Amino acid sequence: MHNKQPKILIIIPCYNEEESIEAVIERLGTVFPQGDYLVVNDCSTDKSGAILSQKGYTHITLPVNLGIGGGVQSGYLYAVENGYDITVQMDGDGQHNPKYLADVIAPVANGTLDMCIGSRFITKEGFQSGVMRRFGIRFLSGLIRLLSGAKVKDVTSGFRACNRELTAYYAQNYAQDYPEPEAIISAVAGGYRVGEVPVVMDERLGGVSSISGVIKGAYFMVKVSLSLIVHRLLLTQKGKDSSC
Amino acid sequence: MLNIPLPLRLALVAGSLLFFLVLCVLLRHKKLSVQYSIIWLAAAVAMLLVAIFPVIIAVLGDLLQVEMPANLVFALLFVFVLLLLLSLSTIVTGFAERIKRLTQHQALLEERLRRLEAEKQSAEQAANAPAQEVASTQEKPGTGPASV
Repeated sequence: MHNKQPKILIIIPCYNEEESIEAVIERLGTVFPQGDYLVVNDCSTDKSGAILSQKGYTHITLPVNLGIGGGVQSGYLYAVENGYDITVQMDGDGQHNPKYLADVIAPVANGTLDMCIGSRFITKEGFQSGVMRRFGIRFLSGLIRLLSGAKVKDVTSGFRACNRELTAYYAQNYAQDYPEPEAIISAVAGGYRVGEVPVVMDERLGGVSSISGVIKGAYFMVKVSLSLIVHRLLLTQKGKDSSC
Repeated sequence: MLNIPLPLRLALVAGSLLFFLVLCVLLRHKKLSVQYSIIWLAAAVAMLLVAIFPVIIAVLGDLLQVEMPANLVFALLFVFVLLLLLSLSTIVTGFAERIKRLTQHQALLEERLRRLEAEKQSAEQAANAPAQEVASTQEKPGTGPASV
């Protein structure tokens, strides 16, 4: 693996990102030209799909909306089919600056980690999100630490690199909605090493967060906490999956 | 101690038989798969048995020391509905997983088809205009697993 450059795939989930997707891909092209990318258009209802086809960007379009989990998982399936060594998730709304891609990839590329998460809470620079959200993230971070021992601060960050083995694992097992915290637990439970590096995130260029409003926020906390606990209790058999 | 008047018993028997008949019709017209009909058939048989031999409920009620046999009937019905709803939830979960898989594979195949068509098109263009060397370099953007 060390004698040649690893094949890198950047997975960009895209649901109604017509305002930002073009800028995100153009910036990626200039800042990080050494990786391939794949936009996963999760059945967008705005002009995202048209922009992707018109510009000839590499993309897949899901015929029905699966949500972020199913969308990202399609990217992992694509990576497995096309033999990529490292996959990186990067949001399509411009929050993740590709200049940190190299930092996020490095620990995975040199084999110290199986998954490396770009965290905005290590150096505490840049966009930090609201008070409530930070509190929620801190709670989940504590819960994950309690359940799995993994010390991850930015558990909801979708800026993360995985190696080939974990990519194959996620192609088979990945949560449907709000999958980021669960993915950490299932990776640790599966015996994979998870860590994080500091990044600076920007304010999103367009679109809205998938978790907005009190009710959605509460649902998010309950659902994620519950599934983390369920995962910890049940996910002891590594590699067991329900796929065909 | 458990006295069900004859007309009511007849009505119960008729009701269970009717339910059974509806099940058979649904099965025959494939509106209901055999797999999911088992629980309903069992329910129909149980209803019929209770209608013909109400003593079952009386004995069960005695064993469990339920004061009113009718309460036992309601409790049993509730448990049955609960189990049924739970089984429906598991079935829905299975469907959701299958739909997700189908969607993902369809999307991947669609992308592959698009890529192959574009490759074929550019190959044909190159074949049609062999004199022009430009044709071979005229690769459309986004045809391959793109280098950004």
